[in-house]
Amino acid sequence: MTLLAPETQTRPVEPPRAATYLLPLFVGIAATGLIGFSGPIGPIWGTLVGLVTFGVFAWAGVTRHWIDAIILVVGGILGLSFFNGVIAARTGPIDFKLALLAAVGWAVYGAATGFVVYRHRLEYRPSIIGLQALSWGGGATIALFTATAMGVLAPLNARQISAGEIQELTIGLFVVTSLAAAAIGLGANLSFATKLISLFAGGVVLVLTVMAYNEIQFSTAAIATQLGRIGEIADDFWPPVWKWPKSLGQPDTFNIVRPFIETFQIAIVGATIGNILALPLAFYASRMTAPSNVAYRIAKGILNVVRTIPDLVWGIFFATAVGFGNPFAGALAMIMFSMSIMAKLLSETVDAIDIGPLEAGRASGASHSEVIQYAAFPQVRPNYVAYALYIFELNIRASVVIGFVGAGGIGRLLNERRNFFQWDQVMAIVIVIFVSVLLIEWLSIWARRKLV
Amino acid sequence: MGIIDFTDTSVTYPGGLVALKDVTLSIEKGEFVVIVGLSGAGKSTMLRAVNGLVPVSGSVVVDGREVVGASRSELRAIRADVGMIFQTFNLVNRSLVINNALMGRLSQVPRWRSFLGLWPSQDKEIALQSLERVDIVEKAYVRASDLSGGQQQRVGIARALAQEPNIILADEPVASLDPVTSHLVMRDLQRINEELGITTLINLHFLDLARQYGKRLIGLNDGRVVFDGDIADVNDDVFRGIYGRAITPDDLVDKT
Amino acid sequence: MTVPDLSPEEQMAQLRPKEPIGPRVTRWIVTIVVIVPFIWAVIGLEISPEKLWRAPAEIWVLLTGMFPPDFEDSGRIMAKLLESIYIAWIGTMMGAVFSFPLSFMAATNVAPRWMAIPTRAALSAIRAFPELILAIILIVPFGLGPFTGALAIGLHSIGTLGKLSSEVIEGVDEGPIEAISSAGGTLMEQMRFGIVPQAMPTIVSYWLYRFEINIRASAVLGLVGAGGIGAEIVGRLSFRADWPKAGAALLATIAVVLIVDAVSSSIRRRIITGQPSTSMLSKGMIAITGASRPPSTELET
Repeated sequence: MTLLAPETQTRPVEPPRAATYLLPLFVGIAATGLIGFSGPIGPIWGTLVGLVTFGVFAWAGVTRHWIDAIILVVGGILGLSFFNGVIAARTGPIDFKLALLAAVGWAVYGAATGFVVYRHRLEYRPSIIGLQALSWGGGATIALFTATAMGVLAPLNARQISAGEIQELTIGLFVVTSLAAAAIGLGANLSFATKLISLFAGGVVLVLTVMAYNEIQFSTAAIATQLGRIGEIADDFWPPVWKWPKSLGQPDTFNIVRPFIETFQIAIVGATIGNILALPLAFYASRMTAPSNVAYRIAKGILNVVRTIPDLVWGIFFATAVGFGNPFAGALAMIMFSMSIMAKLLSETVDAIDIGPLEAGRASGASHSEVIQYAAFPQVRPNYVAYALYIFELNIRASVVIGFVGAGGIGRLLNERRNFFQWDQVMAIVIVIFVSVLLIEWLSIWARRKLV
Repeated sequence: MGIIDFTDTSVTYPGGLVALKDVTLSIEKGEFVVIVGLSGAGKSTMLRAVNGLVPVSGSVVVDGREVVGASRSELRAIRADVGMIFQTFNLVNRSLVINNALMGRLSQVPRWRSFLGLWPSQDKEIALQSLERVDIVEKAYVRASDLSGGQQQRVGIARALAQEPNIILADEPVASLDPVTSHLVMRDLQRINEELGITTLINLHFLDLARQYGKRLIGLNDGRVVFDGDIADVNDDVFRGIYGRAITPDDLVDKT
Repeated sequence: MTVPDLSPEEQMAQLRPKEPIGPRVTRWIVTIVVIVPFIWAVIGLEISPEKLWRAPAEIWVLLTGMFPPDFEDSGRIMAKLLESIYIAWIGTMMGAVFSFPLSFMAATNVAPRWMAIPTRAALSAIRAFPELILAIILIVPFGLGPFTGALAIGLHSIGTLGKLSSEVIEGVDEGPIEAISSAGGTLMEQMRFGIVPQAMPTIVSYWLYRFEINIRASAVLGLVGAGGIGAEIVGRLSFRADWPKAGAALLATIAVVLIVDAVSSSIRRRIITGQPSTSMLSKGMIAITGASRPPSTELET
């Protein structure tokens, strides 16, 4: 209590808001990224950064006093000169020690911002200065490190970097940092340690994004170029060709119809059997209706593993087992796919049922399966019907693509035409898929609305 | 030997809470017993000890069969002869009234028939008759959720009657109902006891209802039986002994 | 108080209702609607009892062929798995960034009808293309490789996330928005202070959920040459001698997906409830970092 000024004695201390120290963190990241590329011109950048921060403070209503502007600019010049000195004097790639050392410059600047906040916001304790220093320094370390991980800073000696790449990097950093800020902002009312976790999470998001961006050779330039020649590409695909000879020398026929019907049949068989098989699994995988803890664990385990495997992998698996090109394989894959989704959705619904009727059923001497059928299932029946329709809809989509791996249906045809580079025929198939998927979706939504 | 014999019966929940402590008493066939006590005194636990819905130790003999240590199928056989009525009715709201009543027949119908919903006609007849007995048969093909609270509790009673039970356990059957409906439901229970001779155990919160409808009264306090005797012997002092305080209007259903 | 009592005679005089015919008819219609197409499909797919009889044995042959798995080239598998994760991550990021503004434009309680309806239609059109088909089309301009995979997944994610997020925005409590507008708040301020705080936790949890789905999707994009682990699994399944290696790839995929699911769902629970989840993982995190409740209780003493 003694720490507080008399006039604030009855007021609670405002917990530091994440944004207060995270905003500078992200400004720090972005600025370090930029300065890292543009060489040792510390004092100029320091002045600029100080003024920008003053602008942010003025906008946020923290301060408009000229003394604070001077504090920030001086802090900026000191901090950034140090930072640039360290970077300029480096001989090799930036390692962690060097990144830390260079970040001390930013920490100095962070302390200056913290001091300004402390001067004007009575509800903050002096620890805000350290907090700001920590976040600016930490931000700079992360920035330097990610930039190095991306191969941007280290190869200044080794590899030529195009201006486009730097631009992309900066844009990427801004996008990602704002996303991270949004995510971290969610934790704003939590304790300091929790915020540190958020900070850490933000760092993970940042690093992962930068690495992924680099690893898969993401290129906005390529997107721009290809968008420019969209007309050329469209020429390959347009107009769609609906008829072609089944094999050489034969007349043109509509070859889409038969595999298209097959796709529907795969979806129907898969959804019907899968939805039935899911019933016992769903009730065993809910604590409400599981006969015993062991049964619950086993059902839950099966469910988790089955759900992990993507539909296409099921397709490959069954195609390998029962023969390539066999729609039976597709049906088996769709059974597994439907079963896993239904069991998961339904078991979560069962978790929320009213337990009273179950007790009444047990009290009347009914067996476990009778209790499930008569007391539990009626409670989730509308959901079951809605999920079943939804799963049928998903099955149509999924059975389109499992044909790719030899599990029959229209996917097989699509893959075949693609391998012949018949893009106009591919387009015809894609249109058929597109229209039927949309139609089924609307139908399913309409039916669900009718039923529930 | 009564129809229900508690001998040193205790109930200890998995969390370690002892809800019923060394209860020893006997209930005769055809009795109408009212159990009163503060909430948490062990009323609901005592009822659930009869059909083994709670972990019981000691001994509870129901109609000559021991509940403690009974196997699953033995327990089901005991429960089949014991109907239960709940404070929150515990109906399957989305199901038809007739299907709720038929749930009382589940223990008597072969599994394949109940699985396919092909109820034997005599079981359907029993369910309809139990609905008639509580005067709700005209709602047989209505969803349970479309009924009022009093009507729902009657369906709950019909479900218990459909078991053709020897014993009915009613756990606070009127606590969720308004005073007028409460009297109606209590009358139904009283009549069933008188006409069919079904032994009836009722938990009640309201003292005036207990006095008006009960014949024998058991008072519980902190898991122990503190009173067991004829309702005629019960005066305000006895209630004070059970509740540990004087009676307030909150303990009465007709607050006048 | 007197309550009329029904005598037994009166009870017998009660009229029993006839069992209504409607539900029965519905049940028959539903049964027919399910069974007839099913039989049609079974016949069309030529599923014979003999095939059904053989299937378990054939699956067993494959299963035993894959075990014990051969982890000889696990380095390559890990690299490809990592690539799948990268593809999913970038795809999710694209989806999140672009779907966020779109979801406001598609929400009828924020955007005017002339804007919401076409945005919705566009989102639903994007969704109608499965990732694999998007990938096939995008390979033409962008060539083979993970970049194409990420674009395909990103595009599809925009469609799904846009729809889900706009539904969240439409579902927010209108009260705070009204309060802000009655206090003179602009549309921007209504969104920032009235909608975002309500909708954001759910939207972020959808992003994470999408990431889980995208991991699975990216695992199969390799089939069309769009990067990731899929090509490894397929390639190895086509030669019997390689089945143990396929088993290894499959196992590694399952493990990675399970881990990502576990981490992501514990974070999601945390975001939605605002409480640390009770999973082992978060308990471990709390034990390491010492994070605890918010300090609000400290002020009361």
